[in-house]
Amino acid sequence: MQITPTLGLLLALSFIVSLLALTALIWAIANKQVHTPDQDDARSIFQPGEGAEIDSPALPHHFDTARSGIDKSSAGPVMWLISMGVFWLIYGSIHGLAASLELHLPDLMSGSAHMTFGRMRTVHLNSVIYGWSSQAGLAAIFWIIPRIFHTPLRLGWMVNLGTLIWNLGVAAGVLAIANGWTDGLEWLEIPWQIDIALAIGAACFVAPLIATTRARKVHHIYVSGWYFLAGVLWFPMLFIIANIPGLHWGVEQATMNWWFAHNVLGLWLTPLGVGTAYYFIPKIIGKPIYSYSVSLVGFWALALFYSQVGIHHLIGGPVPTWLVTLSVVHSIMMFVPVIAVAINQHVTVARNLWALKASMPLRFISFGAVCYTLASFQGSIEALRSVNTITHFTQYTIGHAHLGAYAFVSLVLFGAIYQIVPRATGKYFPFPRLIAWHFWLVVVGFAVYFFSLTIGGVLQGLAMLDASKPFADSVILLKPYLEGRSLGGGLMTLGHILLAVNLIALAFSKRTQDLETEPMVAAQ
Amino acid sequence: MRDKNKQDPRLPDETFEPYEEPRRIPMPVYWIAIALAIWGVTMLVHVSYSTKIADKERAALNDQAIAANTPVKSEPTPEAGKALFADNCASCHGDAGEGVADAIPPLHASDVAKAGGATAITHIVMRGIGGPLIVDKADYDGEMPSFASVLDDKDIAAIANFVASDLNGLKSTVSPAQVAEIRTASADLDPWDGGSGLAGLINGLPAQPASETAAAPSPDAAATAALATHGTNEIWSCASCHGDKGEGTQTIPRLAGLAPAYLAKQLHDFKEGTRVNDSMDYVVKSLSDTQIIELANYYGAMSSPSGARPSLKGDLARGEKIALEGDWSKNVPACFTCHGPSGIGVGDKFPGLAAQQPAYIAHQLAMWQGGSRHNSPLGLMAGIGKSLSDADRRAVADYLASLPPAAANAKLALAVSATTKEAENGQ
Repeated sequence: MQITPTLGLLLALSFIVSLLALTALIWAIANKQVHTPDQDDARSIFQPGEGAEIDSPALPHHFDTARSGIDKSSAGPVMWLISMGVFWLIYGSIHGLAASLELHLPDLMSGSAHMTFGRMRTVHLNSVIYGWSSQAGLAAIFWIIPRIFHTPLRLGWMVNLGTLIWNLGVAAGVLAIANGWTDGLEWLEIPWQIDIALAIGAACFVAPLIATTRARKVHHIYVSGWYFLAGVLWFPMLFIIANIPGLHWGVEQATMNWWFAHNVLGLWLTPLGVGTAYYFIPKIIGKPIYSYSVSLVGFWALALFYSQVGIHHLIGGPVPTWLVTLSVVHSIMMFVPVIAVAINQHVTVARNLWALKASMPLRFISFGAVCYTLASFQGSIEALRSVNTITHFTQYTIGHAHLGAYAFVSLVLFGAIYQIVPRATGKYFPFPRLIAWHFWLVVVGFAVYFFSLTIGGVLQGLAMLDASKPFADSVILLKPYLEGRSLGGGLMTLGHILLAVNLIALAFSKRTQDLETEPMVAAQ
Repeated sequence: MRDKNKQDPRLPDETFEPYEEPRRIPMPVYWIAIALAIWGVTMLVHVSYSTKIADKERAALNDQAIAANTPVKSEPTPEAGKALFADNCASCHGDAGEGVADAIPPLHASDVAKAGGATAITHIVMRGIGGPLIVDKADYDGEMPSFASVLDDKDIAAIANFVASDLNGLKSTVSPAQVAEIRTASADLDPWDGGSGLAGLINGLPAQPASETAAAPSPDAAATAALATHGTNEIWSCASCHGDKGEGTQTIPRLAGLAPAYLAKQLHDFKEGTRVNDSMDYVVKSLSDTQIIELANYYGAMSSPSGARPSLKGDLARGEKIALEGDWSKNVPACFTCHGPSGIGVGDKFPGLAAQQPAYIAHQLAMWQGGSRHNSPLGLMAGIGKSLSDADRRAVADYLASLPPAAANAKLALAVSATTKEAENGQ
């Protein structure tokens, strides 16, 4: 009884401190206490020697990453990460689709324990989060970080080693889960013994990034760099703390579980997606981001408020009220960074709508960026107790999770892959039409998926709250919506297969470009 | 392959670097941030305030519970005994313990009470009693439920002492500590078996009728008990959900002591689909008509202490009013008008409600309201279900859970028709 109010006070203080920090930041920006990257900074970012030729006053904000050998240094590790990521994407999608089918065709695969919903769904989650999103995101990081720091990737061999260890870890984890060996906590199912491999793999990714960052040749770090560097420091901390065996028990374990699970989204996948979009949107369009000050607000508000958000998953659970309330308040405060990112990214795209037609990668990335705004607004509102009462324990939550992890992060990463691969390999995609097919399949598939689960989830929640209806009613009414989910999921999976086909065909096609001598234009 | 020459000329060349313009933060961002911050602080202050109130209320409830469970050293007062008697006993035994001719034995100047004193009265209140009994040379053959679940040690001591001294002029008393001993030893036992059952308890008991020879145990009785407690390969056992003593839990009803005719009707309704429950639908599929009757008799004859306690935070006073008087402003009749005094059940159509699981009662009332349960005579319960609010459902369910369970009545057992049985055996 004595400890609870003290802890409550401390955590409530964290909200106040976050607020004060945000206020101080905004005050500093408003009073020009923060240095904005001006022309002097921009000029200082060119490589010595090269600057003299390229740095004519007519061409600020230009730098040739191909000719300076930067892209060459990262191409190998990036392609490995992308290839393995797409493998896990296909593997995870098939398991997700199977899990979805099992919800409305329960006898379909009831013959073996490996094929039951509980394992299929878990394999899906771990494949797509640790196998697909994390690796594709790391590919974007290793591509973009050397470019914005104007220096070749350091310790590239270590990235390749990390990719090897990481993939062995994910494969072992998925195999363990399929055989019924798990740690039993959502998002933390991979047994902690195998997590050690993942932690070592993660370390192999972090060290080259730090080495590259230390060797940077620019004064000002572009906004994508903040997100990437913060993400690669946050994720290992989250992952290791959450996986220490024997440290977390009972209710505290549940709070830790959702602290981790939500922070994987907010402090790992979100920085990956937002950072990637921050780089490629202006890069492809050729116009700057709307405002540096707003970037600052967006990044620091995320850093200050996100970490407490996860406990809103335990609304109604046996968790102290103040802890849940603090989480609800932090969830709502997430409107601030999301609005900031929305202003910066959407304004740039909205003023250049022509570019969506000109560039397929931009189409993926902008769609993803819009879905980040939508998913975050939806998430903040879902955290309110009055809304959560209806949506908790329903399919609505699944729809929301996919709006964030799929329509935002995965779409941005699809765009990044289509943008990076031709530049990293010097080859065009052999089937450019399949890229458009991929886009429309996943967009239409996702729309079917999302609206089915959102509408079905609300109806399910209302039915479960109605004491005069038997529980079975809430299950039966869901059936058409679950079928809709399978349809949407099927279209999305088909889209992923088209991506894989294009990548495999590209691997076997002839080299048409020379990276060093003939740089490609921004949109292929 | 896409032709490079067809590219939009507005696209930048490959060397363009993303950058941010040095613009100010738009004003609406300030307003939104300030508004959200104010909302957040208000929310935290508001919740901490309501948490404090809730903590205080919980502490007060805890103190009450502790006080109620702490054995009181002082002897119970005669005033308390009189009030408790009026609340718990007088409805059957009469305000002055005079009884009802041929139905309820008197407690005032009663030869059995005089012979047994406060201790024997405590034993009877604790376990209940049923069967032939002679008091003051008059024959009785009724059922009295156990009050073990309803009254605490201090209350029982107060009542026993009141009956012994005020109604029978005896000096003998029991203390709450002695009641606690009796509770530990015997609260779980079956009710006393009529007058003959009391013979070992009370010295100098007036002559009593012999115990009714229990109907010769049917050769199938053991099989029925095994079916109820262990199930078969096809059906899981009744006890796995309804409990060893048929006491139920949560939304699974208490079965012990319900009229066999009512139980059999419900099982048939499940079988015919006029009452729907996914678990029961499955179980009854493989029950024969004979097994239904035997199971109904098995649970109908079962006496077990109440497993129900008020647990839905219902308003007990409101629940009592609905049960005893109804609420005519909502067209709700009193529960006990049909379900019998104290909710002990009447016939095959009106099941006993006393000591039923509160979550079950509240859930069933909601089911009547929503129309997913619809097997009551004349649609009576549908109308009542529609009139009761959620708070009323919880109030009445909690009140019923606070009552002593109705005593089992073996005389209500159903006969198994010989022809049905032969037909089944022949199959």
